[in-house]
Amino acid sequence: MTDVAGARVESDALHERALAMVGAFEQTAPMPESFDALAVDLVRFQARAIPGYARLCAARGVNAATITRAAQAPAVPADAFKLARVFAFDDARALVTFRTSGTTVGARGTHRMRHLRSYDAAALAFGRAMLAPDLPNGAPVLVLGPSVEAAPDSSLAHMCGLFARSLDGAGRGGGAFVKDGFIDVDRLRDRVGALGPDAPALILATSFALVHLLDALGPAVEGALALPAGSRVMQTGGFKGRSREVSSDELRRDVARLFAVAPRFVVGEYGMTELSSQFWEATLVDPAARHAVYAEPPWARVVPVDPVSLEPVAHGEVGIARIEDLANVDSAFAVQTHDRVRRVNGGFELLGRAAGAPPRGCSIALDEMLSSARVTP
Amino acid sequence: MTRPVDVRIGDVRRLLAAAESVFQGRAGWAGAIAASTGLSPQGVELGFASLERHATDDELRALVASAGDAPHVHVILSANVFVAPLRALAVARAAAPHVSVRPSGRDPILTRALVEAAGDRAIDLVDERDVAAVLPAGNCEVHVYGSDATIADVAARLAHRPEVTVRGHGAGLGLAVVTRAAPVETAAELVASDVVLFDQRGCLSPRIVAVEGDASRARAFAASLHDRLAAWAHHVPRGALLPEEEADARRWRDAMAFAGEVLQASDHTIAVAPAGMPWWLPPAGRHVQVVAQEQLTELAVPMAAIAPFVVAIGTDDAVRLGEIVRAWRVRGVEALAAATRRTWTAIRLSGLGRMQHPALDGPVDLRNVERTRAVPV
Repeated sequence: MTDVAGARVESDALHERALAMVGAFEQTAPMPESFDALAVDLVRFQARAIPGYARLCAARGVNAATITRAAQAPAVPADAFKLARVFAFDDARALVTFRTSGTTVGARGTHRMRHLRSYDAAALAFGRAMLAPDLPNGAPVLVLGPSVEAAPDSSLAHMCGLFARSLDGAGRGGGAFVKDGFIDVDRLRDRVGALGPDAPALILATSFALVHLLDALGPAVEGALALPAGSRVMQTGGFKGRSREVSSDELRRDVARLFAVAPRFVVGEYGMTELSSQFWEATLVDPAARHAVYAEPPWARVVPVDPVSLEPVAHGEVGIARIEDLANVDSAFAVQTHDRVRRVNGGFELLGRAAGAPPRGCSIALDEMLSSARVTP
Repeated sequence: MTRPVDVRIGDVRRLLAAAESVFQGRAGWAGAIAASTGLSPQGVELGFASLERHATDDELRALVASAGDAPHVHVILSANVFVAPLRALAVARAAAPHVSVRPSGRDPILTRALVEAAGDRAIDLVDERDVAAVLPAGNCEVHVYGSDATIADVAARLAHRPEVTVRGHGAGLGLAVVTRAAPVETAAELVASDVVLFDQRGCLSPRIVAVEGDASRARAFAASLHDRLAAWAHHVPRGALLPEEEADARRWRDAMAFAGEVLQASDHTIAVAPAGMPWWLPPAGRHVQVVAQEQLTELAVPMAAIAPFVVAIGTDDAVRLGEIVRAWRVRGVEALAAATRRTWTAIRLSGLGRMQHPALDGPVDLRNVERTRAVPV
């Protein structure tokens, strides 16, 4: 274990190196160092500063002090964020605490951050590149999700608020349109109607908010909330039992019709509370890109691994996502998820959550317990 | 009640005689059962020892009293331990003069063997999967043994038959409680025997053990359980896990290695959770979470989240635990959710080492068993 002050100095230096990578990306300059170089130092730091990670390394027989490649670092199971502290600083120094959505069973995943410099820089740099490279400053941003004030522990609300502040400094978009779990359709309609024809807008929306909006508007959605030319929509998140489920293709098609944008301008985002970086569909910036394929920034990558051995699978094979994130300085460089992914040209394809084991008896499985709890009134 | 109690008991005794016959000829089925269940041959032999072949008159009177009364019962066996069809048939036959049963598609062997050995013309084997197609007109019951999703699906399919009662026996889990009075070595030996039976795939199998005392006592119990399970594995090895089960095990093991302490062997894994950590359900397949509980009176707090799924509690001091539970109910412990309080009246309480040997006095799962069209679908 490092001492507290020493850990903070080391953490600050690692943050600066991560920020340097983000800055280089924004300036289309060469990366200042290799992915592995920063990853190895992150892993060594986290093994010293986070007792749980030290235990995981020991259980895997990995000596963090001697690794030479990112791939050698044990990934922290996403479940660990629900069970233990996954941060390298005193609790009192936490500036923000992001939490995963809750159920009545078990705990919520908790991701604490000492500061948001790396998170914000990474989110904004790659988000702008994939979603708004051509949008002028001051473009209206409309958020179909909760505000930061309404959901201070939501990393998604934070990210959307960050985009709104950074891209729409004047607040022309009107901020968030979801309050107390309901979407304010009338206010949204008014705001969309007030947008000038030459002011392309950005909609940031969760999938279930979009489903609720479509349900509220009824069958006549064609152009019901037509946006100015050049507008685009970010769609993120699953449904998690909170609304009726629709296919991604169907939802994208309906959203495009609703806002009168091309389907390629409906851009998917994939992120997790446990991460500091996000991944984006590249359909808006790359004519060859297709939906459900997510691009990675230079400081984060997704490696499909075998669910038992946790070793990388062959290119093109399906595995579960091991996510390596150099911006996750004070928590977990590598996070092991249960999402099924496959490497394809241009990034990785997201294939949904890995199914649990089929029941071979009447013992309940964790996932069944969680899903049962979600539908219990 | 249209049939006299003695007639019903006689019908059940015919099934017990059939069970005895099947037990005597078990060698003929053991290989197929091992293949379908994933148990080792020794595990199948151990499981056969739990096949009910005897019951007292008092037990059978209790069984008849709990079974209800219906002109026809259709039994759907979806997911259960391999000896469970005997009890399911006994409950159905106690309730009705006519019974139809659809064996589990994956594990039909014992059901077929029992029905054939019983030679009871009142019991029909059916393979039809559409429940609506096999039910006679008029009042009848459907007993569903399977996941909550299966039960909900059956209820939905019978939504047009308001005269049909659907009784669901869903998935669940067992909890073991070791009081200060119990020597840890003795308790560990008994808990190990409960864990090994059916490789923990039954809803009575203990997967979490609360040890009264401090962390060191919990660790001592875990170490002893580690030894006892290793000893069991020599003569009753664990069966092969499915790849999905291996993946679930890996996920749980890594999360617990991060959060606490893991004791691992080829055929089992034990995790010792630190104080205050939420209970995180291990997968079946000889995986046990051991938690220290300083005050048993406060056990309600950590178990609140899983309490609706607890089918059985095994303990070395059922009298004391019963008093504690009754005190919770009188006090209406705030930490327990409403669902939890409901289930306390329906948890099977037994001695350690006897968790998987409940008397033949009714269904194994005593939780809310009546499902009607109110089931969320």
